[in-house]
Amino acid sequence: MPGPLVRIEGLWKTYLLGERRLEVLRGVDLEIRAGELLALTGPSGAGKSTFLHVVGTLDSPTSGRVLFEGRDVFERDEEELALFRNETVGFVFQSHHLLPEFTAIENAMMPALIRRTGRAVARRRAEEILALVGLADRMEHKPGELSGGEQQRVALARALCLQPRLLLADEPTGNLDPQTAEGIHALLADLNVKMGITAVVVTHNERLAQSLPRRVRLAAGLLVQS
Amino acid sequence: MAPAGPSPGEPSAAPRPPPQVFSGRSFSLAAAGVVLAPAVASAVHLLLSDRVGLPSAAAAGLAVLAAAAWAAAGGGLASALGRRLAFHEIAAATLLLVLLELGPLAVMLPHLRGLGLVVLSWQAQGNLVLALGLVSTALLSGTIAFIGATLAYLVLGSGRLDASLGYELFMARSHLKLSPRTVLGLFLVVVTGVVPGLLVAMAWSLWRDAAERRAALRRELFQRPRMPATLLMTLISIGGVAIGVWALTVVLSVMSGFEADLKRKILGAHAHGVVLKYGQNDFTEWRDARTKVLAVPGVGAATPFLYNEVMLSAGQNLTGAVVKGIDVATVGTVTDLSRNVEEGKLEWLDRAGDIPTARFPREKDLEKLLGESGLGPSKGLKANEGAGAPGAQTRPQPVLPGIVIGRELSRSLRAFVGDTVNVVSPFGDLGPAGPQPKSRPFRVAAVFYSGMYEYDSKFAYVSLGEAQRFFGTGDSVTGLELKVKDVDAARPVMRRVLTALDGYPYRVKDWGEMNRNLFSALMMEKVVMAVILGFIVLVASFIIIATLIMLVLEKTREIAVLKSMGAGLPSIMKIFVAEGLIIGAVGTVFGLLLGWGTCLLVDKVGIPLDPEVYYISNLPVLMEPAQFGLVALAAMALSYLATIYPATKAARLRPVEGLRSE
Repeated sequence: MPGPLVRIEGLWKTYLLGERRLEVLRGVDLEIRAGELLALTGPSGAGKSTFLHVVGTLDSPTSGRVLFEGRDVFERDEEELALFRNETVGFVFQSHHLLPEFTAIENAMMPALIRRTGRAVARRRAEEILALVGLADRMEHKPGELSGGEQQRVALARALCLQPRLLLADEPTGNLDPQTAEGIHALLADLNVKMGITAVVVTHNERLAQSLPRRVRLAAGLLVQS
Repeated sequence: MAPAGPSPGEPSAAPRPPPQVFSGRSFSLAAAGVVLAPAVASAVHLLLSDRVGLPSAAAAGLAVLAAAAWAAAGGGLASALGRRLAFHEIAAATLLLVLLELGPLAVMLPHLRGLGLVVLSWQAQGNLVLALGLVSTALLSGTIAFIGATLAYLVLGSGRLDASLGYELFMARSHLKLSPRTVLGLFLVVVTGVVPGLLVAMAWSLWRDAAERRAALRRELFQRPRMPATLLMTLISIGGVAIGVWALTVVLSVMSGFEADLKRKILGAHAHGVVLKYGQNDFTEWRDARTKVLAVPGVGAATPFLYNEVMLSAGQNLTGAVVKGIDVATVGTVTDLSRNVEEGKLEWLDRAGDIPTARFPREKDLEKLLGESGLGPSKGLKANEGAGAPGAQTRPQPVLPGIVIGRELSRSLRAFVGDTVNVVSPFGDLGPAGPQPKSRPFRVAAVFYSGMYEYDSKFAYVSLGEAQRFFGTGDSVTGLELKVKDVDAARPVMRRVLTALDGYPYRVKDWGEMNRNLFSALMMEKVVMAVILGFIVLVASFIIIATLIMLVLEKTREIAVLKSMGAGLPSIMKIFVAEGLIIGAVGTVFGLLLGWGTCLLVDKVGIPLDPEVYYISNLPVLMEPAQFGLVALAAMALSYLATIYPATKAARLRPVEGLRSE
């Protein structure tokens, strides 16, 4: 059996707020196997977003390691990390964070454009992914002209544009009504099966978490396996 | 569960070394680029002007280009080596150059031979100018190295060669929100001289206010379209750059106009070069010398001249002047004298008999004058004779030789064509009480107008033969005046002339040497003017900095998202550099168009000047493409430099900060 895709060892994240020391993560260990769909739950302020940011290399840990396929990601320099994020990680945020001046397809193309893929190739790939998330007929709309669910689908398409090995979703359904949220989760599960994507989904919604194969709970900076 | 190793408080043994701030290798590369750039410039200039024989201006231009390329390459290598901007290294290298220049070099300077012309001319202006010149050279060298370094970082900073600007330009354009309509509107505001444009904008705004109030009365919602603050800032920066470029191009073109006018007048009234001989009154072989000189390639024409300072008097009026004996037949090939003649004819110098008599009201004066001088009316005064002067003398009257004087001289002497002028030379015959001034009457054959007050009020021309007779120089002349085919190549041509004449006892001077003070003063004035007006562009580039910082602050989340998608530091930088360059480019194009339009307007319509003061009736304008190009280049360079700080600020934003601010 191959090793885990991601292995997180003793992850600490401490912020110094003036005199006060804020310990957000206090030694988190976790293994994520390839193809796994993982729900990460926990109360507000438990450090879920920070955990996700560190795993996605947007933030660096105070101590501890994140091994991707056995290699410590934080050994890379800034530019290698950017390349790593571009090729290997896909992010979905709570508020979609789409670029408002661009259309759905342009937003979905963006990671490919950052990687310097040709415009035509990038466009074709974005079209495929948008069709996959069910937005084949909304490609030329700007985010402002899309509903909340559609916006989040575009964000998902953008994260999946370069077929990342790891999808990190930070409360993708936090701003959506239950029905739409359900749709997004179904889509995630579907993509997990179809594309074999490994995903970590942070969610508040216990009911949705229950629908995912594996669940972990983060409380006060520590993991509680469930 | 947590491994016992690292305690939470202290950071784990850092897997990555902390980013370097200063590297010795980068510094040595930067220093090689910055410090050696001035040396490269003078070496290339020496090579091109002396070995290859390019004209001085072209050689200087190429030398500066080569030095800039050298400095930029040094900076670029320094940056590429550490994949950082290498700002500290370049700053240190610049400081080193300043210290070198002000320290050992300043001590050595008096002993250094073969310095560049530029340094020599600074030296002539005094120590302050010299120090300022050296320091600004160092700063320029450092700046160019920094431009090279930043460009290298933008292209190579990601670890691979990535010069493309694909999505970054896309993002930049979306940030700036510059629609063609907005740009056109701004252009109209600037063209109409800001005030009318702003009045229209205010009227528009008032109308909107009224509409809003009406809507409020009807309890309707009136969404008033508001201009985003960043767009407003963008427009203001574009306007700033445009005004700076505009002012620079117009003022420099007018100064070039004055300079060209002056040059034309000086070269029109004077030769491009002269051949002189050491010793007095023994340049008798000038005919042979002239033949030799004319055989030199590059020489267009040559004419002999005799130069003397005299006093001129007419009636009660007296003034000092320079009398030049000229060869009427060939002088027209060298100077514009024959074309500058306003009244009378230059040829009358040789045919004094054809000079018409003075106009009627002055006849009596003339007769009196002639009577007093004991010469009586000449043959040329047939009209007078026809009137039947009672005391007509029987012996034949000598014809007075002709003289050509300038318009101002003619006015101050109140002597016009046909009038008599006395030429008085202090070095005359030997009288009983030592040397006596020698005086002889001439008749005004023509009045010329060159447009240079100095010439029109000081110069008088007589025929060479008459001059030689009057000054008693025999067949000798002062020298030869030359016209060369290419005015700007006068110096090398004159050097060849000297070689053809076998050097001593001959010597040569070109027009640049003869008027060195004037032209170097003009150049200095132009440089100072360019620097002062350059401050407008500098201020505009500060506005660009402010605008871009605002944009960066507004777009923190977007930057974070782009980083989460894998955009690297150089890539984020490129977005904001592109924005600044767009602002700079639009502003520069506006400024160039405005400058060009203004120059055309001044040229075609003409702004009258008081000719008594300026000796030019209209404001002169000379549009030099190279000058426009230089202004544009400087404006773009400043805009580019302005982007670096905000762009690095954007690139260094931590993504987490942008994502948190929701």
